[in-house]
Amino acid sequence: MKKWKTNLLVLAVSMSTILAGCGNQASSGSTPAPQSSQQAGEQPAGDKKAVEIDFWYALSGKNGEYIEKMVKEFNASQKEVIVKPAYQGSYYENHSKVLAAVASGNQPDVTMVEIASIGAFADAKVLEDLGPYANGEESKYIKGLMGNSYWNDKLYAIPFNRSTPLLYVNRDMLKAAGLDPNGPKTWEELKQYSQKLTKKEGSKTITYGFSTPIDIWFYEALVFQSGGKVLSEDGKQFMLNSPEGKAPLEFWTGLLKEGIMKAPPGEKYNAWDVAKQDFLNQQVGMIFTSTGDLKGLVENAKFEVGAAFLPANKSYGVPTGGANLVVLSKSSDEEKKAAWQFVKWMTDTKQTIGFSSETGYMPVTNEAVESADMKAYYEKQPNFKVAIDQLQYGAPRPMVPGYKELQEVIMTEIQRAVLGQASVDDALKAAEEKAVKLLKK
Amino acid sequence: MREPSAVAESSPVAVTQVQEQTRPWSETLRPYLYVAPALLFFALFFFYPIVYMIYLSFQDWTLLNLEEMEWVGLDNFSTLFSDPDFHLVLKNTLIYTFLTVFLGIAIAFFLALWLNRKAKIYGLVQGAIFSPHIISLVSVSMLWMWLMDPQYGLLNAMLESVGLPPSTWLADPGTALYSLVLVSVWKVVGYNTLIFIAGLQSIPQDIYESAALDRSPAWRTLYKITIPMLSPTIFFLLVINTISSFQVFDTIYIMTQGGPVNSTNMLVYYIYEQGMDFYNGGIASAASVVLLGLAGVLTLFHFLFLAKRVHYR
Repeated sequence: MKKWKTNLLVLAVSMSTILAGCGNQASSGSTPAPQSSQQAGEQPAGDKKAVEIDFWYALSGKNGEYIEKMVKEFNASQKEVIVKPAYQGSYYENHSKVLAAVASGNQPDVTMVEIASIGAFADAKVLEDLGPYANGEESKYIKGLMGNSYWNDKLYAIPFNRSTPLLYVNRDMLKAAGLDPNGPKTWEELKQYSQKLTKKEGSKTITYGFSTPIDIWFYEALVFQSGGKVLSEDGKQFMLNSPEGKAPLEFWTGLLKEGIMKAPPGEKYNAWDVAKQDFLNQQVGMIFTSTGDLKGLVENAKFEVGAAFLPANKSYGVPTGGANLVVLSKSSDEEKKAAWQFVKWMTDTKQTIGFSSETGYMPVTNEAVESADMKAYYEKQPNFKVAIDQLQYGAPRPMVPGYKELQEVIMTEIQRAVLGQASVDDALKAAEEKAVKLLKK
Repeated sequence: MREPSAVAESSPVAVTQVQEQTRPWSETLRPYLYVAPALLFFALFFFYPIVYMIYLSFQDWTLLNLEEMEWVGLDNFSTLFSDPDFHLVLKNTLIYTFLTVFLGIAIAFFLALWLNRKAKIYGLVQGAIFSPHIISLVSVSMLWMWLMDPQYGLLNAMLESVGLPPSTWLADPGTALYSLVLVSVWKVVGYNTLIFIAGLQSIPQDIYESAALDRSPAWRTLYKITIPMLSPTIFFLLVINTISSFQVFDTIYIMTQGGPVNSTNMLVYYIYEQGMDFYNGGIASAASVVLLGLAGVLTLFHFLFLAKRVHYR
């Protein structure tokens, strides 16, 4: 009875998935995974038939093209596994599609998951415990990047495209204004630089000194810099309704009121795109964005781009970010083995060096950072080393299951404060009230 | 006016009564057999999902893990109605629906009056106004996003060139909802106009001729003849526009994602967000039940109170 109901629900979900135009290949029916896995295991009549696995990724543009190229290389490098890559939109969109696909039983075998959402997926038993596969090998990855890989002491995710936020400065503009082209080191300096870089024509601002998306990730960074935390160690207490949680908002609203900072319009990643575009058009002098944007910005800028640590309040501090690779637990054993082989290859030293130099994301293995190739590259492109250096001040993002929703709540509330819809105190109080409910789950 | 209703109501009843007494079983059954495939289709794809959705709204569940469903009674509904965000969502939905339906119908009505002429140019304009209806809403949303860009957008450039202050459009909680209304009115007006023109052309000319003979002023002709004669069309547009506005999703998903600060978050997007982003299947189902109820109540209201005022010829 239960199964019958589940199947019908699954049918409805898969229908909606098709309607939503996700472009999954038709599911072979709504049979739950364990059975289909056995069938898949029996299928190859010949001894060695290549295992096909699906890989969903969430990076577009040049970065996405490079991922496609890596997959092709992997497929050519061996004969046992064929990986079929598919772009699924932004992290948010990919998460939704994975969710729908898991429910309808045609989930990918490997996918990228944004690091703060790994807890939610692992908690729902969607992810495969990678401990037995890695067998201690995971020690080769940089320790500072492993903070969002474990859930309840089990290894669920391998760092792939990993980032920290960086401060990007238009060096030409800074030099012209008589400022240090390496950028501001503290909040106070960020303010002074912004004042000097802002240019007005009548009542209209031609150039803003500074711009950042009002995004949870940058807010987390500023909270860390102020010595605060988002959640308590056990993940049960909301810590932002505090002086450390208020300081970033007061800082931002102060800059906005002074007219020296621009809060780019648009929701989620739309705002990021606006910030980057404004920076490239030299309408803002300094922005916060991910290290993953480094290559793209350097290539497209008609001026000298500088990358720097996010300015310090009490100290430096950044959350790490980006996505990890996970293997889905519903896949067959054979597929999981193949998936692990692929994950291991994608994140291995040679591949991560290539990926890092082509995108700006951080290399993920210790060996890669120490390698002669990477060092030679850093010599030529010192901007690419900033994120790795900043990692000593890095911290993992909160990853309790409730944080997936809570981060949206916080984001809405801080935007309310920044847009002048609520006072800083009221916004954080409202966030706290909702957080208490969400963290109880 | 003629009064055909008395005849129309009494005769079919009498006929069926006579037939039913004499008709053999197979005859009675046959019509049901004819509609059975369609009925089965409806049952499977419309009635069953609705009933199952109502069932799901009493459960605590997530798409990630369908094995663990828990009966929680009305908890989802109480959570929903105690959530201030949901109140805002309802308010946004109602404002949006009212404005879109009202403006969409009013503008289309006057456009139809203007375009209901024979020259070629009117056909051309009509085609131009209709074209948004056949463009995918996703592309439309992308285009409007560019137009509405506060800094580089065409709309602000136009406003500034005639000396008006630029608008914040989608960037500000105060203007974002109205910007979405603008897009949907632009999108729906062409279709409404077309339906109105069809309605206008089915009004017999002799009524207008006799009005002209009586020297009825234009406004009275409009009020006493055109509008009553168009009332079935107006009613039809009212019902379908209300329902489709209630279900707005694409523009929100592409243009605002419910923001800034939930100012454009409306029912269907809220359901999507709860179900797909936050993994609250139960809340999403409960909100779907609310959507079903509201759309049902509004449609019922239309039929109960407005249908009386509709004049069918």
